[in-house]
Amino acid sequence: MQQVKDIVVVGGGTAGWMAAAAFAKVLGTQAHTITLVESEEIGTVGVGEATIPPIMQYNALLGIDEDEFVRETNATFKLGIEFIDWRKKGSSYFHPFGVFGANIKGGVGFMNYWLRWVQAGGDPDYSHFIAEGEAAREGRFARVPASPDGQLPRLNYAYQFDAATYAAYLRGYAERRGAVRREGKVVDVEQNPETGYIEAVKLADGTRVAGDFFIDCSGFRGLLIEGVFKAGFDDWSHWLPNNRAVAVPCERVEDPTPFTRSTAREAGWQWRIPLQHRTGNGYVFCDSYLSEDEAAQRLLERLDGKPLADPKILRFTAGKRRLGWVKNCLAVGLSSGFLEPLESTSIHLIQIAIMKLFEFFPQREVNPVLIDMYNREMDVLYDHVRDFIIGHYKVTDRDDTPYWQYCRSMSVPDSLGAKLELFSDRGETRWLPSDLFGETSWFAVLYGQGLIPRSYHPVANALSDDELQRALASISGAIRRRVDALPSHAAFIESCCAARPAATAA
Amino acid sequence: MTRRIEQVVVVGADAPAWMAAAAIQNSVSAAGIRVRVIELPTQLQPADAYSALPELAGFHHRIGLPEDLLFTLCKAVPIAGRRFSNWSGAALPFIHGFDRSPPPAAGLGFTQLWIKGRQKGLRTEFENFSLASVAAKAGRVPVAAGGAALHAAFGYNLDAGAYSALLRHFTMRGGVESKAATIADVETEGDRIIAVILNDGERVEADLFVDASGPRAALIGRMRGADVESWREWLPCDRMLVASARGLRPLPAFSQISAFRHGWIGLSPLQDRTAVVAVYDSRETSDQAVLEDLPALANMPIGGDAIVSGLSQGIRRRAWVGNCVAIGESAFSLEPLDGTQLHIVHYCISQLMTLFPVEAGAFPEAELYDRIVHRLAVNLRDFQLAHYKLNRRFDMPFWDACRDAAVPETLQRKLDVFTARGRVPLNDDETFQEQDWDSLFIGHGLMPQSYDPRVDAIPEQEHIAQVQARLNDIVGLVEAMPPVDDFLAGVNSRQAAEAEAVG
Repeated sequence: MQQVKDIVVVGGGTAGWMAAAAFAKVLGTQAHTITLVESEEIGTVGVGEATIPPIMQYNALLGIDEDEFVRETNATFKLGIEFIDWRKKGSSYFHPFGVFGANIKGGVGFMNYWLRWVQAGGDPDYSHFIAEGEAAREGRFARVPASPDGQLPRLNYAYQFDAATYAAYLRGYAERRGAVRREGKVVDVEQNPETGYIEAVKLADGTRVAGDFFIDCSGFRGLLIEGVFKAGFDDWSHWLPNNRAVAVPCERVEDPTPFTRSTAREAGWQWRIPLQHRTGNGYVFCDSYLSEDEAAQRLLERLDGKPLADPKILRFTAGKRRLGWVKNCLAVGLSSGFLEPLESTSIHLIQIAIMKLFEFFPQREVNPVLIDMYNREMDVLYDHVRDFIIGHYKVTDRDDTPYWQYCRSMSVPDSLGAKLELFSDRGETRWLPSDLFGETSWFAVLYGQGLIPRSYHPVANALSDDELQRALASISGAIRRRVDALPSHAAFIESCCAARPAATAA
Repeated sequence: MTRRIEQVVVVGADAPAWMAAAAIQNSVSAAGIRVRVIELPTQLQPADAYSALPELAGFHHRIGLPEDLLFTLCKAVPIAGRRFSNWSGAALPFIHGFDRSPPPAAGLGFTQLWIKGRQKGLRTEFENFSLASVAAKAGRVPVAAGGAALHAAFGYNLDAGAYSALLRHFTMRGGVESKAATIADVETEGDRIIAVILNDGERVEADLFVDASGPRAALIGRMRGADVESWREWLPCDRMLVASARGLRPLPAFSQISAFRHGWIGLSPLQDRTAVVAVYDSRETSDQAVLEDLPALANMPIGGDAIVSGLSQGIRRRAWVGNCVAIGESAFSLEPLDGTQLHIVHYCISQLMTLFPVEAGAFPEAELYDRIVHRLAVNLRDFQLAHYKLNRRFDMPFWDACRDAAVPETLQRKLDVFTARGRVPLNDDETFQEQDWDSLFIGHGLMPQSYDPRVDAIPEQEHIAQVQARLNDIVGLVEAMPPVDDFLAGVNSRQAAEAEAVG
């Protein structure tokens, strides 16, 4: 095979343009060509999109200026996710970015000290030990570096943005660097009769787009990865029964909150993602328990502002493409699998696929060893995210509808079962250092869902009651001072990255 | 609810037992947990040395043991790497230096730039781009003036007896009780040790028993399901000879590992002598033959203190059964080829401390501990095995067999991915990081076929400048490092000044 030179991205949308922009930046268009084929007819799934902090790495790879990016995509800042009615109706908890508490010298994880304190009768509301959580609750935000004394790390955040403008923003970025967009619908695929490699895709108007490497960003159906290569699909709907989402934007009725909200409903959950100019909403549900019409109706009743469009229905099955990379084709985005956006991982999975592809990108022939490596590493990531999401459904006191009765009584993957057992015993959340969701995330969600550890690490008993009291007061005091110094989220956006009126009108 | 853990008993000898006791005492005694050591007879010989990776400094720091004492009391020599010679018929020796996260070059791993450079005719060997390897070759210790951060660190060769004695003294002073004894019997109930019965009849009860007895596995060896899975099919050597030779002047900043017809010889410089170890396969040669060949192989006279022992490499299927936790070589053992003996102890202890059980009941932590120790063991075994697999001593039956043998899938994957792309897929609980594997693989002659395509986006002039800058940086940094003897003299004068100040 010749040098891998011509790269074809099939499908636009968030995944397609994230891939094209990264290729344009990293490989450039001197020695490579980057062509993206998309059809205005097909449209994209993208709705209001929330992200997690590692998106900073993608932006850094592209060298994107944050203020410009926030302005151009109508974005807001996100400090975490508020979960309402998930443990039981009337309850709520916050899954913050950032870390829980701070290090206690010579000791074990902060959570253990806090558990000791609660078991001795302390206040079980942990929000004042997480700066991101406190700032979110008070609607504050700013970029804050690590504290000079090293006690607190920098304030950790991600973004909430309009997926359509995000794709448009990246398209501009990619095209300025020489990526070429071709309008058209793919109607046929040419494969090499001997190797099976894809050689070209044919468009409805008869154009032939040839390439050496193909990125399948065609969405759920997986035009190339499944349509051509039959990569297979691991169906996870036993654990994640939701298979529909209905989405609708509504008018903004208040200053945008620096967090996403997820509210558990009778047959699923509702998202609320505040953007600068409007609010994105959706109801993710399982159609065995609620019809599409009913879901749309309930969503419209539960908006906090006037709807700005007709509700749009999305249909999917939770699961993962068995192989994300086959021969000279890599699936990125929904074509590689679908996990509901409960923990805002969709863009992260896209980003990781792209970054890993660079690590293993072929110079000439595609090496099966590297494909295998890629597929294994993606499997580990997918399984981890899957387990974390399942944890939200399995651990709950809710049994008020058949949907929740199913969720709380379903069997879970062994990997998650072992985690739940160790957590309920001693609050242990240290699984693998390479895990995406770490100690604070597992603690916030499992504890918030009502799994209360029976005990904690014995080293936490090494402090006297007084010392513990002082340590906790010092940490919550530092967090309080940090939060008090923050401006409101709206004022911060206004100061540096408010969307221009033209973008706002879009 | 069952009782909280109150009493821990460590059973073992030498450095592992005292390391365990010191760590437990240091972190949980304030929580009301008592530690007692049942000190078994030593398994050390006078000629024994420990070779330690730089991470051991972190352990000393944690328990509060002043680092200088190693040099003044344990005849320690700081080393910047391990030099492998004669593993190939034709190629030059190479040094596996103790580099620490080397800085990226043009945003990529430097190895990727080197691979392309090599394909374009760059002649400079890979090890010259390793700060620690260059320091080792120059006989210098990787420390920076004023304690500035360096992308390299030093490990140590230690007199095993003196180091064990130092740890013992330090730990006892910290309030740990101990008793010298042997185990007459172990009283169990199901998967649980109720008490160990000592040779004098004393019955010692505890909530948690830590087996730090090394390969003899005084406690874990009696537990159900903790039988040994042998690794001999991959690692054929089953004999180990230790001896002493004269000290080297000036002191080198590396240990030397030389392959010979039936195994390998290690020379570890100490302040007063050189510790010699030979590891070999009894099916290929005899103890007597090795002893006779040793002076020629080591290229120096060998003292009369040689002792031979059996070596069995493998892992226990479970490292934590009931209330018995195995650490170090009572959990799994390897050859002293990569200086990991104390590291294994240290790593097991830190996992035990992280998962230190709350209650003297069901021990749900055991399964996670087992998985971690198993991953650690497999990663280290694969690192060691790679030396054998990649040897290029052709036409010698022992080495040909090592080269031709299939290796475990975990290692094969690393070899394949490295060959394909110059990357090493790391697992969790890896001791050796990508720079270590790179050094090992390239040093043994495994050359990647391709590199990260992002390297091609770097203009040629910029690429050359990056390579040159890396070399210059290293030369500059190494020139500022102290030679081993100066480093030791510095420690001594610091100690003398302190003694005077106290004095």
